[in-house]
Amino acid sequence: MGPVPRTLELFYDVLSPYSWLGFEVLCRYKNIWNINLQLRPSLIAGIMKDSGSLSAMRFLTAVSMEHPGMLEKVSRELWMRVWSRDEDITEPQSILAAAEKAGMPSEQARGLLEKISTPKVKNKLKETTEAACKYGAFGLPVTVAHLDNQTHMLFGSDRMELLAHLLGEKWMGPVPPATNARL
Amino acid sequence: MGPVPRTLELFYDVLSPYSWLGFEVLCRYKNIWNINLQLRPSLIAGIMKDSGNQPPALLPRKAQYLKNDVRLLGQHVQVPMQFPKDFFSVILEKGSLSAMRFLTAVSMEHPGMLEKVSRELWMRVWSRDEDITEPQSILAAAEKAGMPSEQARGLLEKISTPKVKNKLKETTEAACKYGAFGLPVTVAHLDNQTHMLFGSDRMELLAHLLGEKWMGPVPPATNARL
Repeated sequence: MGPVPRTLELFYDVLSPYSWLGFEVLCRYKNIWNINLQLRPSLIAGIMKDSGSLSAMRFLTAVSMEHPGMLEKVSRELWMRVWSRDEDITEPQSILAAAEKAGMPSEQARGLLEKISTPKVKNKLKETTEAACKYGAFGLPVTVAHLDNQTHMLFGSDRMELLAHLLGEKWMGPVPPATNARL
Repeated sequence: MGPVPRTLELFYDVLSPYSWLGFEVLCRYKNIWNINLQLRPSLIAGIMKDSGNQPPALLPRKAQYLKNDVRLLGQHVQVPMQFPKDFFSVILEKGSLSAMRFLTAVSMEHPGMLEKVSRELWMRVWSRDEDITEPQSILAAAEKAGMPSEQARGLLEKISTPKVKNKLKETTEAACKYGAFGLPVTVAHLDNQTHMLFGSDRMELLAHLLGEKWMGPVPPATNARL
Protein backbone atom coordinates (compact mmCIF):
# COMPACT_ATOMS: atom_id res chain seq x y z
CA MET A 1 0.00 0.00 0.00
CA GLY A 2 1.21 3.50 -0.74
CA PRO A 3 1.62 6.49 1.57
CA VAL A 4 -1.35 7.52 3.76
CA PRO A 5 -3.78 9.79 1.86
CA ARG A 6 -3.74 13.39 3.09
CA THR A 7 -7.02 14.65 4.53
CA LEU A 8 -8.55 17.72 2.90
CA GLU A 9 -11.60 19.32 4.52
CA LEU A 10 -13.72 21.43 2.21
CA PHE A 11 -15.99 23.84 4.09
CA TYR A 12 -18.72 25.11 1.74
CA ASP A 13 -22.17 26.61 1.42
CA VAL A 14 -24.35 26.14 -1.69
CA LEU A 15 -25.11 29.85 -1.56
CA SER A 16 -21.50 30.48 -2.56
CA PRO A 17 -20.71 30.14 -6.29
CA TYR A 18 -17.00 30.01 -5.59
CA SER A 19 -17.69 27.12 -3.22
CA TRP A 20 -19.18 25.27 -6.19
CA LEU A 21 -16.09 25.87 -8.30
CA GLY A 22 -13.76 24.67 -5.56
CA PHE A 23 -16.01 21.67 -4.89
CA GLU A 24 -16.06 20.50 -8.51
CA VAL A 25 -12.29 20.84 -8.91
CA LEU A 26 -11.61 18.89 -5.72
CA CYS A 27 -14.18 16.23 -6.65
CA ARG A 28 -12.30 15.73 -9.93
CA TYR A 29 -8.97 15.42 -8.17
CA LYS A 30 -10.11 13.19 -5.32
CA ASN A 31 -9.44 10.08 -7.41
CA ILE A 32 -6.26 11.46 -8.94
CA TRP A 33 -4.37 12.89 -5.98
CA ASN A 34 -3.52 10.88 -2.89
CA ILE A 35 -6.12 12.65 -0.75
CA ASN A 36 -9.10 11.90 1.43
CA LEU A 37 -11.68 14.60 0.66
CA GLN A 38 -14.02 15.37 3.56
CA LEU A 39 -16.97 17.57 2.62
CA ARG A 40 -18.01 19.94 5.43
CA PRO A 41 -21.39 21.65 4.84
CA SER A 42 -21.16 25.06 6.59
CA LEU A 43 -23.16 28.23 6.85
CA ILE A 44 -21.65 31.25 5.18
CA ALA A 45 -24.14 33.33 7.19
CA GLY A 46 -22.32 32.10 10.28
CA ILE A 47 -19.04 33.39 8.93
CA MET A 48 -20.24 36.64 7.40
CA LYS A 49 -23.52 38.47 7.91
CA ASP A 50 -25.58 36.85 5.15
CA SER A 51 -28.71 34.73 4.74
CA GLY A 52 -30.61 32.36 2.51
CA SER A 53 -29.23 28.88 2.77
CA LEU A 54 -30.07 27.79 6.32
CA SER A 55 -32.50 24.98 5.43
CA ALA A 56 -30.40 23.73 2.54
CA MET A 57 -27.24 23.55 4.61
CA ARG A 58 -29.10 21.93 7.52
CA PHE A 59 -30.39 19.36 5.04
CA LEU A 60 -26.86 18.71 3.78
CA THR A 61 -25.73 18.39 7.37
CA ALA A 62 -28.37 15.72 7.94
CA VAL A 63 -27.21 13.99 4.75
CA SER A 64 -23.60 14.10 5.95
CA MET A 65 -24.67 12.50 9.24
CA GLU A 66 -26.92 9.73 7.90
CA HIS A 67 -26.09 9.14 4.21
CA PRO A 68 -22.59 10.58 3.67
CA GLY A 69 -22.23 8.72 0.37
CA MET A 70 -24.98 10.98 -1.04
CA LEU A 71 -23.44 14.24 0.15
CA GLU A 72 -21.52 15.07 -3.03
CA LYS A 73 -24.49 14.48 -5.35
CA VAL A 74 -27.08 16.28 -3.23
CA SER A 75 -24.73 19.26 -2.75
CA ARG A 76 -24.25 19.42 -6.51
CA GLU A 77 -28.00 19.36 -7.19
CA LEU A 78 -28.56 22.24 -4.77
CA TRP A 79 -25.91 24.29 -6.59
CA MET A 80 -27.49 23.36 -9.90
CA ARG A 81 -30.78 24.80 -8.64
CA VAL A 82 -29.53 28.08 -7.25
CA TRP A 83 -26.47 28.76 -9.40
CA SER A 84 -27.35 27.14 -12.71
CA ARG A 85 -31.14 27.28 -13.07
CA ASP A 86 -31.88 30.21 -10.76
CA GLU A 87 -34.34 28.08 -8.76
CA ASP A 88 -35.31 28.32 -5.12
CA ILE A 89 -33.45 26.33 -2.47
CA THR A 90 -35.28 27.61 0.61
CA GLU A 91 -38.63 25.79 0.36
CA PRO A 92 -39.01 22.16 1.51
CA GLN A 93 -40.20 21.17 -1.98
CA SER A 94 -37.09 22.68 -3.51
CA ILE A 95 -34.78 20.74 -1.24
CA LEU A 96 -36.67 17.49 -1.82
CA ALA A 97 -36.47 18.05 -5.57
CA ALA A 98 -32.69 18.42 -5.34
CA ALA A 99 -32.35 15.30 -3.21
CA GLU A 100 -34.50 13.29 -5.62
CA LYS A 101 -32.58 14.54 -8.64
CA ALA A 102 -29.45 13.34 -6.86
CA GLY A 103 -30.96 9.84 -6.74
CA MET A 104 -32.15 9.82 -3.13
CA PRO A 105 -35.40 7.88 -2.58
CA SER A 106 -38.14 10.39 -1.64
CA GLU A 107 -38.95 8.51 1.57
CA GLN A 108 -35.37 8.96 2.69
CA ALA A 109 -35.28 12.60 1.60
CA ARG A 110 -38.49 13.40 3.48
CA GLY A 111 -37.12 11.64 6.53
CA LEU A 112 -34.02 13.79 6.51
CA LEU A 113 -36.03 16.94 5.87
CA GLU A 114 -38.03 16.29 9.04
CA LYS A 115 -34.82 16.24 11.00
CA ILE A 116 -33.40 19.57 9.91
CA SER A 117 -34.88 21.49 12.83
CA THR A 118 -33.74 19.01 15.46
CA PRO A 119 -31.06 20.18 17.93
CA LYS A 120 -28.75 17.41 16.71
CA VAL A 121 -28.66 18.70 13.11
CA LYS A 122 -28.72 22.38 14.05
CA ASN A 123 -25.80 21.88 16.41
CA LYS A 124 -23.79 19.87 13.92
CA LEU A 125 -24.07 22.64 11.34
CA LYS A 126 -23.13 25.16 14.01
CA GLU A 127 -20.09 23.08 15.02
CA THR A 128 -18.89 22.66 11.46
CA THR A 129 -19.24 26.37 10.82
CA GLU A 130 -17.37 27.11 14.04
CA ALA A 131 -14.64 24.70 12.98
CA ALA A 132 -14.19 26.73 9.80
CA CYS A 133 -14.01 29.90 11.90
CA LYS A 134 -11.41 28.33 14.19
CA TYR A 135 -9.31 27.64 11.11
CA GLY A 136 -9.48 31.39 10.42
CA ALA A 137 -12.22 31.47 7.77
CA PHE A 138 -13.75 34.83 6.86
CA GLY A 139 -15.70 33.43 3.93
CA LEU A 140 -16.20 30.24 1.93
CA PRO A 141 -14.99 28.03 0.39
CA VAL A 142 -12.18 27.11 2.70
CA THR A 143 -9.98 24.08 2.03
CA VAL A 144 -8.01 22.80 5.01
CA ALA A 145 -5.11 20.55 4.06
CA HIS A 146 -3.70 18.33 6.77
CA LEU A 147 -0.10 17.59 5.87
CA ASP A 148 2.43 15.58 7.90
CA ASN A 149 3.87 18.53 9.73
CA GLN A 150 1.40 21.36 9.21
CA THR A 151 -2.14 22.37 8.49
CA HIS A 152 -2.91 24.91 5.78
CA MET A 153 -6.16 26.84 5.42
CA LEU A 154 -6.71 28.07 1.86
CA PHE A 155 -9.52 30.46 1.01
CA GLY A 156 -11.25 30.54 -2.34
CA SER A 157 -11.66 28.33 -5.36
CA ASP A 158 -8.49 29.82 -6.86
CA ARG A 159 -5.96 28.22 -4.54
CA MET A 160 -6.11 24.70 -6.03
CA GLU A 161 -2.87 25.02 -7.97
CA LEU A 162 -1.16 26.19 -4.76
CA LEU A 163 -2.80 23.25 -2.96
CA ALA A 164 -1.26 20.88 -5.52
CA HIS A 165 2.13 22.46 -4.82
CA LEU A 166 1.70 21.95 -1.06
CA LEU A 167 0.60 18.34 -1.59
CA GLY A 168 3.47 17.66 -4.01
CA GLU A 169 0.89 16.66 -6.59
CA LYS A 170 0.53 17.61 -10.26
CA TRP A 171 -1.83 20.40 -11.27
CA MET A 172 -3.53 19.59 -14.57
CA GLY A 173 -5.90 22.54 -14.69
CA PRO A 174 -9.48 22.66 -13.41
CA VAL A 175 -10.65 19.84 -15.70
CA PRO A 176 -8.03 17.07 -15.36
CA PRO A 177 -8.24 14.10 -17.75
CA ALA A 178 -10.33 11.41 -16.09
CA THR A 179 -7.92 8.69 -17.23
CA ASN A 180 -5.48 9.92 -14.59
CA ALA A 181 -7.71 8.44 -11.91
CA ARG A 182 -6.07 6.14 -9.41
CA LEU A 183 -7.50 2.63 -9.55
CA MET B 1 4.43 37.37 -39.51
CA GLY B 2 2.02 35.73 -37.09
CA PRO B 3 -1.24 37.01 -35.66
CA VAL B 4 -1.25 40.42 -33.94
CA PRO B 5 -0.17 40.19 -30.28
CA ARG B 6 -3.00 40.79 -27.82
CA THR B 7 -2.55 43.77 -25.53
CA LEU B 8 -2.59 43.14 -21.80
CA GLU B 9 -2.60 46.10 -19.44
CA LEU B 10 -1.36 45.37 -15.94
CA PHE B 11 -2.45 48.00 -13.41
CA TYR B 12 -0.33 47.67 -10.27
CA ASP B 13 1.03 49.38 -7.17
CA VAL B 14 4.29 48.33 -5.49
CA LEU B 15 2.47 48.53 -2.15
CA SER B 16 0.46 45.48 -3.21
CA PRO B 17 2.16 42.08 -2.75
CA TYR B 18 -0.37 40.40 -5.01
CA SER B 19 0.51 42.97 -7.68
CA TRP B 20 4.11 41.73 -7.45
CA LEU B 21 3.04 38.12 -7.94
CA GLY B 22 0.89 38.98 -10.96
CA PHE B 23 3.66 41.16 -12.38
CA GLU B 24 6.32 38.45 -12.18
CA VAL B 25 4.07 35.82 -13.74
CA LEU B 26 3.12 38.09 -16.64
CA CYS B 27 6.74 39.17 -17.16
CA ARG B 28 7.65 35.49 -17.49
CA TYR B 29 4.90 34.87 -20.01
CA LYS B 30 5.39 38.00 -22.09
CA ASN B 31 7.96 36.22 -24.26
CA ILE B 32 6.03 32.97 -24.34
CA TRP B 33 2.48 34.04 -25.11
CA ASN B 34 1.55 36.16 -28.10
CA ILE B 35 0.92 39.24 -25.98
CA ASN B 36 1.99 42.85 -25.67
CA LEU B 37 2.33 43.57 -21.96
CA GLN B 38 1.71 47.20 -21.00
CA LEU B 39 2.66 48.07 -17.43
CA ARG B 40 0.37 50.68 -15.85
CA PRO B 41 1.66 52.09 -12.55
CA SER B 42 -1.41 53.01 -10.48
CA LEU B 43 -2.28 54.08 -6.95
CA ILE B 44 -4.09 51.46 -4.90
CA ALA B 45 -5.10 54.13 -2.38
CA GLY B 46 -6.93 55.95 -5.16
CA ILE B 47 -8.73 52.81 -6.26
CA MET B 48 -9.85 52.04 -2.72
CA LYS B 49 -11.15 55.57 -2.27
CA ASP B 50 -12.98 55.62 -5.61
CA SER B 51 -14.58 52.21 -5.19
CA GLY B 52 -15.44 52.43 -1.49
CA ASN B 53 -13.49 49.25 -0.87
CA GLN B 54 -11.12 48.77 2.04
CA PRO B 55 -7.72 47.11 2.23
CA PRO B 56 -8.44 43.48 3.14
CA ALA B 57 -5.90 43.63 5.95
CA LEU B 58 -8.26 45.85 7.93
CA LEU B 59 -10.33 42.74 8.71
CA PRO B 60 -8.31 40.87 11.40
CA ARG B 61 -8.96 37.40 10.00
CA LYS B 62 -8.06 38.53 6.52
CA ALA B 63 -4.85 40.13 7.83
CA GLN B 64 -3.88 36.83 9.41
CA TYR B 65 -4.79 34.93 6.26
CA LEU B 66 -2.90 37.36 4.03
CA LYS B 67 0.35 36.73 5.88
CA ASN B 68 0.21 33.01 5.16
CA ASP B 69 -1.22 33.38 1.69
CA VAL B 70 1.48 35.81 0.59
CA ARG B 71 4.19 33.61 2.10
CA LEU B 72 2.96 30.39 0.44
CA LEU B 73 2.33 32.07 -2.90
CA GLY B 74 5.78 33.63 -2.73
CA GLN B 75 7.23 30.13 -2.45
CA HIS B 76 5.02 28.69 -5.17
CA VAL B 77 5.57 31.59 -7.60
CA GLN B 78 9.26 31.82 -6.61
CA VAL B 79 9.21 35.47 -5.60
CA PRO B 80 11.27 36.31 -2.45
CA MET B 81 8.30 37.72 -0.57
CA GLN B 82 8.77 38.75 3.06
CA PHE B 83 6.09 40.44 5.14
CA PRO B 84 7.25 43.80 6.52
CA LYS B 85 7.50 43.79 10.30
CA ASP B 86 5.25 46.81 10.73
CA PHE B 87 2.88 45.96 7.94
CA PHE B 88 0.13 48.36 8.94
CA SER B 89 2.50 51.30 9.08
CA VAL B 90 3.90 50.44 5.65
CA ILE B 91 0.52 50.03 4.00
CA LEU B 92 -1.71 52.49 5.80
CA GLU B 93 0.61 55.24 6.99
CA LYS B 94 3.58 55.38 4.65
CA GLY B 95 1.93 54.39 1.40
CA SER B 96 3.38 54.54 -2.09
CA LEU B 97 2.59 57.94 -3.59
CA SER B 98 6.15 59.06 -4.37
CA ALA B 99 7.16 55.61 -5.57
CA MET B 100 4.23 55.34 -7.96
CA ARG B 101 4.75 58.90 -9.21
CA PHE B 102 8.37 57.98 -9.84
CA LEU B 103 7.32 54.88 -11.79
CA THR B 104 4.89 57.03 -13.71
CA ALA B 105 7.76 59.35 -14.68
CA VAL B 106 9.80 56.29 -15.69
CA SER B 107 6.94 55.04 -17.83
CA MET B 108 6.72 58.41 -19.57
CA GLU B 109 10.44 58.98 -20.23
CA HIS B 110 12.26 55.63 -19.98
CA PRO B 111 9.61 52.94 -20.45
CA GLY B 112 12.27 50.32 -21.14
CA MET B 113 13.35 50.66 -17.48
CA LEU B 114 9.86 50.36 -16.02
CA GLU B 115 9.93 46.62 -15.39
CA LYS B 116 13.30 46.66 -13.61
CA VAL B 117 12.66 49.74 -11.49
CA SER B 118 9.23 48.41 -10.45
CA ARG B 119 10.86 45.14 -9.42
CA GLU B 120 13.51 46.91 -7.34
CA LEU B 121 10.87 48.89 -5.48
CA TRP B 122 9.01 45.67 -4.65
CA MET B 123 12.27 44.08 -3.55
CA ARG B 124 12.73 46.96 -1.11
CA VAL B 125 9.30 47.01 0.48
CA TRP B 126 8.16 43.42 0.03
CA SER B 127 11.40 41.48 0.31
CA ARG B 128 13.87 43.44 2.42
CA ASP B 129 11.42 45.49 4.51
CA GLU B 130 13.06 48.74 3.37
CA ASP B 131 11.55 52.18 2.94
CA ILE B 132 10.18 53.32 -0.41
CA THR B 133 8.89 56.74 0.61
CA GLU B 134 12.12 58.77 0.93
CA PRO B 135 13.87 60.23 -2.13
CA GLN B 136 17.04 58.31 -1.24
CA SER B 137 15.09 55.05 -1.16
CA ILE B 138 13.61 55.61 -4.59
CA LEU B 139 16.98 56.59 -6.05
CA ALA B 140 18.54 53.46 -4.56
CA ALA B 141 15.91 51.30 -6.26
CA ALA B 142 16.41 53.04 -9.60
CA GLU B 143 20.19 52.64 -9.39
CA LYS B 144 19.89 48.97 -8.43
CA ALA B 145 17.77 48.58 -11.55
CA GLY B 146 20.66 49.92 -13.60
CA MET B 147 19.47 53.48 -14.11
CA PRO B 148 22.27 56.07 -14.18
CA SER B 149 21.93 58.25 -11.03
CA GLU B 150 21.80 61.45 -13.11
CA GLN B 151 18.78 60.10 -14.93
CA ALA B 152 17.18 58.87 -11.71
CA ARG B 153 17.63 62.24 -10.01
CA GLY B 154 16.20 63.99 -13.04
CA LEU B 155 13.07 61.86 -12.89
CA LEU B 156 12.77 62.30 -9.14
CA GLU B 157 12.65 66.06 -9.62
CA LYS B 158 9.67 65.65 -11.90
CA ILE B 159 7.46 63.64 -9.59
CA SER B 160 5.65 66.66 -8.20
CA THR B 161 5.02 68.24 -11.59
CA PRO B 162 1.38 68.43 -12.78
CA LYS B 163 2.32 66.33 -15.80
CA VAL B 164 3.41 63.34 -13.73
CA LYS B 165 0.76 63.75 -11.01
CA ASN B 166 -1.98 63.89 -13.65
CA LYS B 167 -0.64 60.89 -15.52
CA LEU B 168 -0.75 58.76 -12.36
CA LYS B 169 -4.25 60.05 -11.69
CA GLU B 170 -5.38 59.19 -15.22
CA THR B 171 -3.93 55.69 -15.09
CA THR B 172 -5.63 55.05 -11.75
CA GLU B 173 -8.90 56.38 -13.14
CA ALA B 174 -8.54 54.13 -16.17
CA ALA B 175 -8.30 51.14 -13.84
CA CYS B 176 -11.43 52.37 -12.05
CA LYS B 177 -13.26 52.76 -15.38
CA TYR B 178 -12.45 49.12 -16.11
CA GLY B 179 -14.20 48.33 -12.82
CA ALA B 180 -11.23 47.91 -10.51
CA PHE B 181 -11.89 47.77 -6.77
CA GLY B 182 -8.33 46.77 -5.92
CA LEU B 183 -5.06 45.79 -7.55
CA PRO B 184 -3.58 44.07 -9.45
CA VAL B 185 -5.94 44.29 -12.39
CA THR B 186 -5.10 42.69 -15.74
CA VAL B 187 -7.08 43.99 -18.69
CA ALA B 188 -6.98 41.68 -21.70
CA HIS B 189 -7.93 43.17 -25.04
CA LEU B 190 -9.17 40.36 -27.24
CA ASP B 191 -10.54 40.62 -30.78
CA ASN B 192 -14.14 40.90 -29.75
CA GLN B 193 -14.06 41.76 -26.05
CA THR B 194 -12.19 43.25 -23.17
CA HIS B 195 -11.79 41.32 -19.93
CA MET B 196 -10.83 42.83 -16.58
CA LEU B 197 -9.37 40.21 -14.23
CA PHE B 198 -8.70 41.01 -10.60
CA GLY B 199 -5.91 39.42 -8.61
CA SER B 200 -2.74 37.47 -9.24
CA ASP B 201 -4.76 34.25 -9.23
CA ARG B 202 -6.54 34.71 -12.54
CA MET B 203 -3.57 33.94 -14.79
CA GLU B 204 -4.66 30.42 -15.64
CA LEU B 205 -8.08 31.83 -16.60
CA LEU B 206 -6.28 34.51 -18.63
CA ALA B 207 -4.41 31.77 -20.51
CA HIS B 208 -7.75 30.13 -21.25
CA LEU B 209 -9.18 33.41 -22.57
CA LEU B 210 -6.09 34.00 -24.71
CA GLY B 211 -6.13 30.44 -26.04
CA GLU B 212 -2.61 30.02 -24.68
CA LYS B 213 -1.04 27.25 -22.59
CA TRP B 214 -0.75 27.65 -18.83
CA MET B 215 2.48 26.13 -17.56
CA GLY B 216 2.20 27.24 -13.97
CA PRO B 217 3.60 30.40 -12.39
CA VAL B 218 7.21 29.48 -13.30
CA PRO B 219 7.14 28.43 -16.96
CA PRO B 220 10.29 26.92 -18.46
CA ALA B 221 12.30 29.75 -20.01
CA THR B 222 13.06 27.59 -23.06
CA ASN B 223 9.48 28.14 -24.19
CA ALA B 224 10.32 31.73 -25.05
CA ARG B 225 9.35 32.83 -28.52
CA LEU B 226 12.36 33.86 -30.59
